[in-house]
Amino acid sequence: MMQANREAGSPGTATPWVGGESTVPLLIRSLGSSIDVLRALTESDIRFRYGRGPFRFARWLLDPVALVGVYLFLVSFVLDLEATTPGLSLACAIIPFQLVMLTIANAMTALELRRPILLNMSFRRMLLPISAALTEAVAFSSSLLLVVVMMAIYGVAPTWSILWFPLVLVINILLAIATAYAAVLFGIWLRELRSFVTSFVRALFFLAPGLVPLAETSEDVQTLLRLNPLTGLFEAYRDVFMDGTRPALWELAFPLAAALALLVIFLPLYRSEQRQFAKVI
Amino acid sequence: MIIAEDVGVQFFFNRYLRVVTPGQARLRGTGVTTWGLRDLTFSIERGVGTALIGPSGSGKTTLLRVLAGVYSPDRGRIEIRGRVASLLSIDAGLLSLLTGRENALLLGVLGGLSRRSAARALGTVKERSALGEAFERPVLTYSQGMKARLGLAVAEEANPDILVLDEVHEALDHEFRQFLQERAHALIEAGGIVVAAGHDHPMLASLCSRALWLENGSVREHGPFDQTQPRYLDSVGST
Repeated sequence: MMQANREAGSPGTATPWVGGESTVPLLIRSLGSSIDVLRALTESDIRFRYGRGPFRFARWLLDPVALVGVYLFLVSFVLDLEATTPGLSLACAIIPFQLVMLTIANAMTALELRRPILLNMSFRRMLLPISAALTEAVAFSSSLLLVVVMMAIYGVAPTWSILWFPLVLVINILLAIATAYAAVLFGIWLRELRSFVTSFVRALFFLAPGLVPLAETSEDVQTLLRLNPLTGLFEAYRDVFMDGTRPALWELAFPLAAALALLVIFLPLYRSEQRQFAKVI
Repeated sequence: MIIAEDVGVQFFFNRYLRVVTPGQARLRGTGVTTWGLRDLTFSIERGVGTALIGPSGSGKTTLLRVLAGVYSPDRGRIEIRGRVASLLSIDAGLLSLLTGRENALLLGVLGGLSRRSAARALGTVKERSALGEAFERPVLTYSQGMKARLGLAVAEEANPDILVLDEVHEALDHEFRQFLQERAHALIEAGGIVVAAGHDHPMLASLCSRALWLENGSVREHGPFDQTQPRYLDSVGST
């Protein structure tokens, strides 16, 4: 098909012709075009991965419901842990975790899924990981309904602290995007180890206070658990939806710092490697 | 206009002979490297159709992918003035689970149209591709020719200055071959460029006045089609 947007880079160069236009209109057009590309990639990804019609909404909702159900059984009956709102606490961990986890799974196969396009035309491949995160963010937005249901079941009324949710959500999505850049690269560098990457990320859920809030874990391990960026995220969701309090600074700062560190490391690597994607898929 | 100076495209293989990226090669230890294109220097003027000829593995597809921006040169420089439309495989970049309409919108936007323009063009693409009701069905139900027609119709919508074709025209039926020839001639007459590769030389001759003969990733000869093509056929012992 057509190509208009090349991402040239050293050592060889491909120079598309761009007419003589001043910088500001060019930037505005470029931003508008990026949004269009991102939307087109995300819409097609949703259709490709989740199909069409109402059943995909059911799937987006039932996946976290099933997970909460399994872990609720584990926490309440097998481990016999005492908690006041275990279902809501689990939902506050599982839902943000699912966004990161599913984004990583999506990103690791993002190139293969779009193989026909990658081999046929040039487009803004830098946007692929963001599209992976946005696709799963759509699923995530449906599963947020589970939090509302859990709040209703446990009789937890929303408080003004819910105003912090947009900030928590932005950090959650930023962390998902940052991991997506790494995941695309792992997906092609270490494709035999994709299932290991998935298992490793799942393990991070249990190496964070996923099953029970941080306060209910042993004080000896709390400092270590805080180093896991998912810990801050889970606790921030619990603060906003369960406890009705403002998230602590570290709860936002740790996942944000992890996201920025991942971007600093993997964005330049991705920029360099994306020139070679069509050769290796 | 297309100007290529010392263009090289390199492939890295790991010790298990899988193609890897340079980063991956550094990470896991390089096995072998090979140049798909080497020291390629040529230019194509506006208003010219150029056929890429040469045996399989000579670098035709690699060069077309460079022209389409699918590969970036690992060495040298290529300058392309104008909007490129490419049909580099029978699949034409189409995603099998999406419908013709959904693919047309996606590829239109990825190709540089705004979402609004791409959506506005869907009626024209449907009409031009002559897919009828099939336009609303998943592409996995399409024949190869139907995919090529849809790919061509979407490419046309972008109003390209340069059209890059890799054997796709060989999958088209007679009606669409005629359509492709007409479009290619119109593009060339309007000052555009057509670059096509394939083994159907009569078809290439109908699209291109010049030929670029590739051998082992390098230019063996670049000249008028009716002089270069017979010399290539002589070299491979074909008549």
